[in-house]
Amino acid sequence: MMRRTLPTAAIGAVLWAGCLALPIFLDSAWISIAAIFAIYAIVALSQDVVLGRAGLYDMGHAVYFGIGAYATAVLNVGFGWPILATLPVAIVGAALVGAVFAAPIIRLRGDYLLVATIGLNAIFVLAMRNDLGGLTGGSDGIPGLGVPSLFGLQIESQSALFWFDWVLLGVVLLVMRNLDRCELGRALRYLKQDQLAASTLGVDARRTKILAFALGAGLAGLAGTLFAVQISTVSPSSFVFTESVTLFAIVIVGGQGSIPGVLLGTALMFVVPQIFREFAQYRYFIFGIAMIAVMVLRPQGLWPRARLAR
Amino acid sequence: MGTFIQQVINGLTVGGIYALIALGYTMVYGVLRLINFAHGDLCILGAFVGLTMLSGALGGGHPGPALVLLAFVVAVIAISVAGVALEFVAYRPLRKADRLAAVVSALGASMLIENGIMLIWGPEVRVFPSGLLPATTWHVAGASISFVEVMIIIVSVVLMAALYGFVNHTRFGTAIRAAAIDQDAARLMGINVNRVISSVFVIGPALGAVGGLFIGLYYREAYFTMGWTYGLNAFIAAIIGGIGNIPGAMLGGVLLGLFNAFAAGYVSSSWQNAITFALLIAILLIRPSGLLGERVAEKV
Repeated sequence: MMRRTLPTAAIGAVLWAGCLALPIFLDSAWISIAAIFAIYAIVALSQDVVLGRAGLYDMGHAVYFGIGAYATAVLNVGFGWPILATLPVAIVGAALVGAVFAAPIIRLRGDYLLVATIGLNAIFVLAMRNDLGGLTGGSDGIPGLGVPSLFGLQIESQSALFWFDWVLLGVVLLVMRNLDRCELGRALRYLKQDQLAASTLGVDARRTKILAFALGAGLAGLAGTLFAVQISTVSPSSFVFTESVTLFAIVIVGGQGSIPGVLLGTALMFVVPQIFREFAQYRYFIFGIAMIAVMVLRPQGLWPRARLAR
Repeated sequence: MGTFIQQVINGLTVGGIYALIALGYTMVYGVLRLINFAHGDLCILGAFVGLTMLSGALGGGHPGPALVLLAFVVAVIAISVAGVALEFVAYRPLRKADRLAAVVSALGASMLIENGIMLIWGPEVRVFPSGLLPATTWHVAGASISFVEVMIIIVSVVLMAALYGFVNHTRFGTAIRAAAIDQDAARLMGINVNRVISSVFVIGPALGAVGGLFIGLYYREAYFTMGWTYGLNAFIAAIIGGIGNIPGAMLGGVLLGLFNAFAAGYVSSSWQNAITFALLIAILLIRPSGLLGERVAEKV
């Protein structure tokens, strides 16, 4: 196992380190696109924990992304917390909500879980739009977020934000890599292959799945904070069902459980549209064709997970 | 009493439409175990095709009802062809693949159709022409019922009865039910399963086109994202009734229509969708396979 995965991981680490130098070569518009890529890559990887690794059909993952973003926005704008202090709240809050939502619905069979999570997403967006508790600012959302400061250093310039996002992406990538080797990751793999056999070996299916859901939701919450800081406004339209569908599609189009696949999927679904801004009208039309074409030609995804030795 | 009856009339009208669309979801799911996310958009495509017929030929001095009938015929044919083409291009190659590949393909098809409608007919709300159907309104016990409402309720009931008879009392209907239970066994019995699947993608979209055009005639408007709104409600109806179950889709549609009509009286409209979804999640938790579906919950 080590021999097969180590080279890819090493190449990945070198690539990541190389990308850190990007702000030197790019103009500010491109730096911000690269920063947004890192943010969406984290959300997509978190969706992969739930969908690709745990095999739970979660089509409402934008909810946890949104909870993280709203936690940061409400605490920063409404209560004057420093941005970095909101980060743990965003992660833990999203993870808790994920676990609480997942606990009752996790026993639903695949497609029913999918429908229930679509429902949760719709309810979340409506709650934010209707200004829940007078905190979420309704349809316009919450504008005017502050700037994170680290040891007295203001992370204000686009390059600084880029590094901030990419360092955290690096941390998440490390978590994803270690997930494969730890007990939770192994339990998830066995559960996905054969739940009955895994249960007889002492894997607590329910607990493992809820844990995976909480982990995925927490990572999405982390990305939510980064997103809120990056665009400095949080509004419901960033967390609608279409976003969840896109995240879901990234994992399947890229390759379930495959880190390079998910990163490639993120680049295709979130970054390419930024480049072709002037064709915005045709964007989703072409997206639709591309999604069908990729699935028909490569049902296992563009960059499927390498087979791990068991 | 008057408002109560009025809500029942409204609920039955919308419920009939939901049921017609829900049948398409449930029949495809029954045979392929696939949520056809593009179905709602196909239905609204039907509404737009009908709208083009209705507004394009108006100047010719055709009598309204005949024109409406023609619009229905054209929409039904066009959407059936689109349904078969969709299955052939987006779903057939993925029958043996991972189920999620087909789900993403369906989501792609939904985006493709929805945005195709926007590119052809524009992003704005299109208004249906008035004066095509009799404006008669009857008053019963303090409630009123319009010609369009009567038409929608009667046609929905007739179509559902016809479908029920077809599926339960004809040879081909038996083949559809057999393929839904076990495709391999059905094949061994000499049933052409590919033909069954194609037929499901004719019947579902045909009924859906009728439902879509009903939406246009009832609300007198159509816009490109409508497929998501109404498709989702119809889909919820199919699940409430027990997805894969034909009478379940009919029951679910009518129940959801009534539920929405009554909820509209008591709940702010900005929360309406949340209430529908809360109902859906509650039903899934109590009876994961819907009202008429068999129990298939995972034991975890």
